[in-house]
Amino acid sequence: MNIIRLACKLLWRDWRAGELTLLLASLVIAVGTVTTVTLFVDRLQQALLVESATFLAADRVISSGATIDPSIIAHAQSLGLKTSETLGFVSMVFSEDRAQFTSVKAVDADYPLRGRLIAGDEPFIRGYPVSAGPAPGELWMESRLFPSLGVSRGDLIDVGVASFPVSQVLIKEPDRGGGFNSIGPRVLMNLADVEATGVVQPGSRINYRYLFAGSREVLEEFTRWAKTRLGPEARIFGIKEGTEGIGEALDRGERFLLLGSLLGVVLAGVAIALAAQRYSLRHYDHVAIMKTLGATPKTIGLIFLSIFVILGATATVFGAGVGYVMQIGVAEILSPYIPIDLPQPSMRPVLLGLVTGFICLFSFALPPLLKLRSIEPLRVIRRDLGDSGLSDGFTYLFAVIGTLGLMWWYSRDLSLTLMIFSGAVVSLILLLGVANLLLRSGRVLGMQAGSAWRLALAGMQRRAQENTLQILVFGLAIMLLLILYLVRTALITEWQAQIPEDAPNHFAINISPEDVQPIRELFTENGIESQPLYPMIRGRIKSVNGELAPDRDKRIHRGGEDAPRSSSGRNLTWAYTLPDDNIVIAGKWWDKAYHGPPLVSLEKDLAYRNQLKVGDELIFTIQGRELTTMVASIRSVAWDNMQSNFYMIFSPGALEDFPSTFMTSFFLEKDEKLFLNDLLQAFPTMTVIEIDALIEQVQRIIDQVTLAIELVLVLIIGSGGMVLLASIQASMDERLKQHAILRTLGAGRKLILGSIAIEFCALGFFAGVLATVGSEITVFMLETQIFELEYKMNPRLWVLGPLIGTLLIGSVGTYATRRVVAVSPASVLREL
Amino acid sequence: MIKAIDLGKTVSTSEGQLTILKGIDLEIKKSESVAIVGASGSGKTTLISLLAGLDSPSRGKIYLGEYEITALNEEERAMVRSELVGFVFQSFQLLASLSAIENVMLPSELKGDPLAETKARELLERVGLDHRNNHYPKQLSGGEQQRVAIARAFASSVDILFADEPTGNLDTATGQHIIDLIFELNEEFGTTLVLVTHDQRLAARCQRSIHIASGELFMPDVAPEILNNTAG
Repeated sequence: MNIIRLACKLLWRDWRAGELTLLLASLVIAVGTVTTVTLFVDRLQQALLVESATFLAADRVISSGATIDPSIIAHAQSLGLKTSETLGFVSMVFSEDRAQFTSVKAVDADYPLRGRLIAGDEPFIRGYPVSAGPAPGELWMESRLFPSLGVSRGDLIDVGVASFPVSQVLIKEPDRGGGFNSIGPRVLMNLADVEATGVVQPGSRINYRYLFAGSREVLEEFTRWAKTRLGPEARIFGIKEGTEGIGEALDRGERFLLLGSLLGVVLAGVAIALAAQRYSLRHYDHVAIMKTLGATPKTIGLIFLSIFVILGATATVFGAGVGYVMQIGVAEILSPYIPIDLPQPSMRPVLLGLVTGFICLFSFALPPLLKLRSIEPLRVIRRDLGDSGLSDGFTYLFAVIGTLGLMWWYSRDLSLTLMIFSGAVVSLILLLGVANLLLRSGRVLGMQAGSAWRLALAGMQRRAQENTLQILVFGLAIMLLLILYLVRTALITEWQAQIPEDAPNHFAINISPEDVQPIRELFTENGIESQPLYPMIRGRIKSVNGELAPDRDKRIHRGGEDAPRSSSGRNLTWAYTLPDDNIVIAGKWWDKAYHGPPLVSLEKDLAYRNQLKVGDELIFTIQGRELTTMVASIRSVAWDNMQSNFYMIFSPGALEDFPSTFMTSFFLEKDEKLFLNDLLQAFPTMTVIEIDALIEQVQRIIDQVTLAIELVLVLIIGSGGMVLLASIQASMDERLKQHAILRTLGAGRKLILGSIAIEFCALGFFAGVLATVGSEITVFMLETQIFELEYKMNPRLWVLGPLIGTLLIGSVGTYATRRVVAVSPASVLREL
Repeated sequence: MIKAIDLGKTVSTSEGQLTILKGIDLEIKKSESVAIVGASGSGKTTLISLLAGLDSPSRGKIYLGEYEITALNEEERAMVRSELVGFVFQSFQLLASLSAIENVMLPSELKGDPLAETKARELLERVGLDHRNNHYPKQLSGGEQQRVAIARAFASSVDILFADEPTGNLDTATGQHIIDLIFELNEEFGTTLVLVTHDQRLAARCQRSIHIASGELFMPDVAPEILNNTAG
């Protein structure tokens, strides 16, 4: 009790003397930044999930070919989940004198659970949101159906054996982007009317979808529970599994935000360690005197532990509060740019911020403070005595364990943590060596230089150890920022390239061979750009090198992993030339004029997962007949480019004996959609799959993830700046002393400021070089291993890194140490 | 009160073992005042550090009061210091972030003495600085700082006062004033005084001088002319 009172007194005296300002500021800012970033990321993540859930009109969907056990729905409701039910089928609908092939969806009154239905009073307008779909006895239809059926609002439409009046125009539905299921324009009706249509008969192709929405935890619990009870014809999925492109974008986005938070934690830790180190150094004399006055090491330990706990608790709670307020501020300021409503932050990040604060403190601030315990009292007589006892290795161990633990806790992914961590450690060791080398080379250059230069470089050399550390810290801060910037740029570039502005947003299939030429002409007449028309035939591999494909599959895929099987039925095509975006990675693409024995080119995932290689003999079953081919090449395919892609492409002539249909893809602007009516009227046998809504939604999500990433980058840059300042402050005492002595010896302001500027510029330059090397290595690892992007060297970085280092550290350092020449040398020397 | 038997101190340097002190035997009685004198580098500061328990010898034994401090660990030595020992240093060693009165209060506070502040006030008044209670070390002159240090040394009612060159950083007149103060208080509190000094006037005020050269005791209590030739 007594010791705590004494600790409080000492703390108060330190505070009054300004000794605590820097430590407390770094702590508050560290905890504050981490809390802000975590809270903000949490809200963004929640928002992105909620927003992207609108793609499904729900958080989870059970999709099934038959009705599911009603007890599953009852269980979901008992858990507090909201539920809804829809049913989809493809059917002809009839107006008085016309018919149209449509995709009908029947919904209940609760549909949609996420997102909104947009309806209109006439076709082709922007419409307005409505709270529920059509009432029983009514139909809604997509705009395009009005001209193609020749009807207007209020007219009767026949679905199956029942007739319904069209009461509204369906402008937009949230889960419209259902990929290849959404063949034909949409008709929306009430679930209660389905029975009257008589369409649902045993054996008819119906897609039942059961929608669920609720809190993350309950959904996860429900998903686990439901998975064990669903039959093989049903599957449950969320947005990530439901839509490949979005899931991937969200995954990468989340990983980036996570990476941002992790780097924020590391930066905060470094700032705290530096501030604590400085506090500890400035208390060496304190402790030595207290020891000569009879304070035992135990007392000293207890006093500083109490100080640490009081300081830590204050800073952490205050920092978390600051973080909370800042995060509200950030969200408020940015609300015009964030096109979604941010949900309230959950409690986890607040807890995360608090715990992070304490772990940061324990691993970065406690070791330097513990060192105080072992300060020798003899230091009062011999000031050159440093600390002993607690070794530096032990100190670093604390930091290492703390950082690792935090990273693991944040990412909940041990391999990701270990990869980033070991990468960072290897880079650090390399950097340490390089930093030493750079300092030495600086000396050699300095020997021939003028006086400000000589002073600066001699100073750097004299404090070689401190400077190596400082270069490391500067380098680390710049490196982390560069990494974040590079990964962000790579991600965004990749996403933009993935879905270019004019990516095809419609697929046309089932085109008969005699329609190929007229369709081409129609496209040209209407100025519509289309991809080549590819022949398309269903077929499957029967055997590989004499072994039956199903047997081989059983042998290779014993683990039941999620890989494309060789024996599955696939769409086959043939081509003269390699499609755009495909790259041959093994074997050779055939010559344009090739007309020999049938060859086939395989997609690389299919080939590798099924251990197929160039030269293998494959026998295909196509339309009941066999075709023997040899694998000529293996190629990579950009699956996400929204174009017609194939697992297997044959050589010209190989498929000419098999009657085939053709497919293509093309791009239509929103206001060109009526072209579809002309197209389908002219070629009634073909089918058009519309994915424009899907693409639009993917693009929107990507825009939002991009924005989130940029925001986090800005926040992290802020905490990086803090580290720079803390690091400069930490070397301040030493600089003040040296330059005070120089000034008493007659060195002018200009010389001293010059030498300081040169010193910081040189440190910054070296730090920039290190940061460039380090970030190239780490970004290479991150992009290839974590983000699955293609790595490219960044030549601009090799100029930018050192330049940023020199300018940033040079200006910030000189500015922050200008006090060196502003304070009188006498008062500096007196304080020391 | 203080007894050293066959005291020796060696340190390792890059050029091998360096002997700083060897074969020191001495005894200082209660309330005695003793000056340790010798040339720079003779080992006198090391000797006082060992006697005060700030450092450990390589060989030999030291008794402070009833304690054999050479048999104690740092934790126990600190307790002994707290009970028996006060210090005055050449460079004052006040804590810059603490005011004059807080510096004087510190030893009592470490002992948990509830009267720390009252005692400190009295002592500052005794050294003539009661009007400077709330001033910080950098606002005080060298002499004033040393007076605060002396007040602090006597604050915890110790038996032994060690002083390392207490006038080394002060001008002659101020130095004289400080010497007077130390001896007055020493008499008043009945403390044993051990000081290291180059200052002959200071050494002369002590009851006894111990001369040390090259780490060895050099004819204690005799040969003032040798002392005159080597000291300073």
